[in-house]
Amino acid sequence: MSELVGGDGRTHINSRLMRESLQNRDVLSNTDSERDLQIFPDVSLVSIGGQSIFDRGKGAILPLVEELVEIKKDRNVKMVIGVGGGTRVCHTISIAVDLGLPVGGMAQLVGAMEELNAILLNTLLAPHGSMPMQRDHFWDLPLYFDAGITPIAISVPPYHFWEPPPDVGHLPMHGSDFGLFQLAEVLGMKQVIFVKDEDGLYDKDPKRHADAKKFDKITLAELMKKLPDDNILDPELFQAWKTAKNLKRIVIVNGLKRGELTRALRGEDVGTVIVKETA
Amino acid sequence: MSTERRTLDAHMPGDYRPTAVMPDVKVVKIGGQSILDRGRAALFPILDEIVQARKLGIQVVLLAGGGTRARHIYSIASELEMPTGVVATLGKYIPMQNARMLQMLLAKHGGIYMLPDDFEKLPLYLQMGCIPVMSGMPPFGYWEKREEGSRIPPHRTDAGVFLSAEFLGSPRAIFIKDEDGLYTDDPKKNPDAKHIARITAKELQAQNLPDVVLERVVIEYLPRAQWCKELQIVNGLKPGQVLAALKGEDVGTIISA
Repeated sequence: MSELVGGDGRTHINSRLMRESLQNRDVLSNTDSERDLQIFPDVSLVSIGGQSIFDRGKGAILPLVEELVEIKKDRNVKMVIGVGGGTRVCHTISIAVDLGLPVGGMAQLVGAMEELNAILLNTLLAPHGSMPMQRDHFWDLPLYFDAGITPIAISVPPYHFWEPPPDVGHLPMHGSDFGLFQLAEVLGMKQVIFVKDEDGLYDKDPKRHADAKKFDKITLAELMKKLPDDNILDPELFQAWKTAKNLKRIVIVNGLKRGELTRALRGEDVGTVIVKETA
Repeated sequence: MSTERRTLDAHMPGDYRPTAVMPDVKVVKIGGQSILDRGRAALFPILDEIVQARKLGIQVVLLAGGGTRARHIYSIASELEMPTGVVATLGKYIPMQNARMLQMLLAKHGGIYMLPDDFEKLPLYLQMGCIPVMSGMPPFGYWEKREEGSRIPPHRTDAGVFLSAEFLGSPRAIFIKDEDGLYTDDPKKNPDAKHIARITAKELQAQNLPDVVLERVVIEYLPRAQWCKELQIVNGLKPGQVLAALKGEDVGTIISA
């Protein structure tokens, strides 16, 4: 039991951080260790792209829903689905920029466009067991998995009005890819699978360059040396992944090709697999 | 989103400058360890000056820090190797308690507790002459990034105060602490240490100090800010300093972009 400590005009609780400055590097390093607790290590996070899947409409959405229904029959597969907002997010931002709204205002607005895709997907999946997940109701997850319910989350992180000033440009730095990465990281999940409309990650945009080469399997360290400018994932994700302790695997698969997501969920190397090797 | 983001960024008007949402608001932090953990002896005179300022028509929003209870839970959570996002979530509760304490004390002068994300109600509160009080902790919670070599969330209540001021378009964020701001050395140990009245974020970063007066992310963000380009640290234990700062006077230390 800790006791209360006085004597300097303040009332402290005795702890290793008592009276300490939390800006002091030595103090901070004493809180660190080589590992972070992993809360749900057997769960995969599946991100379904906004522009790449949802904005294509019925033709892309329904086959993917059919695949998800098939996957759900195997109760050993535990997954959380995250959805992007797509072109409505871009439109929101474009109007917000024209109106001169601050970066925190943009960050506050965009989540609503993802909610729409969460509701769409849930409407299609609900008969087979799914539920939109409230923001950070992570502690309901064991209940969902036991009941065979697949939770559907929005992706953008809740930085809202507090979105920090971006290092380049004027748009929020913390978008959907980062948000889902962070969700998988903090919960210690097995992998994140990004379902897009490309076969994986290329060294340049394959929609514009016929000679673009796909990465099949690459380590994060190697990828950081040659991170493509045209990247279907947000650079902030890779920045955050570098200092993170938990997540070891990110897979990018083509959601327009039936079976790719299923294989990725089973742990097969499909699309592009990015792995973080332990030091 | 990266390619999309770049496309959007490329179409930004070159002279883009966001609107200042509520530029007259003074965003003020009441320190946790430095003020609130001292109890009434430190806090009551500060609240008196804030009420005085409000009566002069100065619009004040108070944000509460954490303090020793935050350190206690951070310490236990660290031993258990909790991820930073969990530590940040735990860290939300103490500033919330502190904000509620402040609200109870200020209620008779218009103190009103505000939830994070409730900035949209600020115009009403301020026009009614209220003193809105909220937690200083940003809402990042589980989405707080891990820093190299530390498990403590890098965005805590100093960051929340700066980012709130930046969103609101307030040019200067005020931090009420128990010291006059920055010195050339620790004044408690070196009698020759000189007070620093003004310093830039770059000068401060160049010193590469093992310890700094405000959270490092705030010093990092300050040069990129669109509106909040100054951070003022004032000594709440010295009578008159808080009121002077609220009136816009240059007391304490000012860190500028």
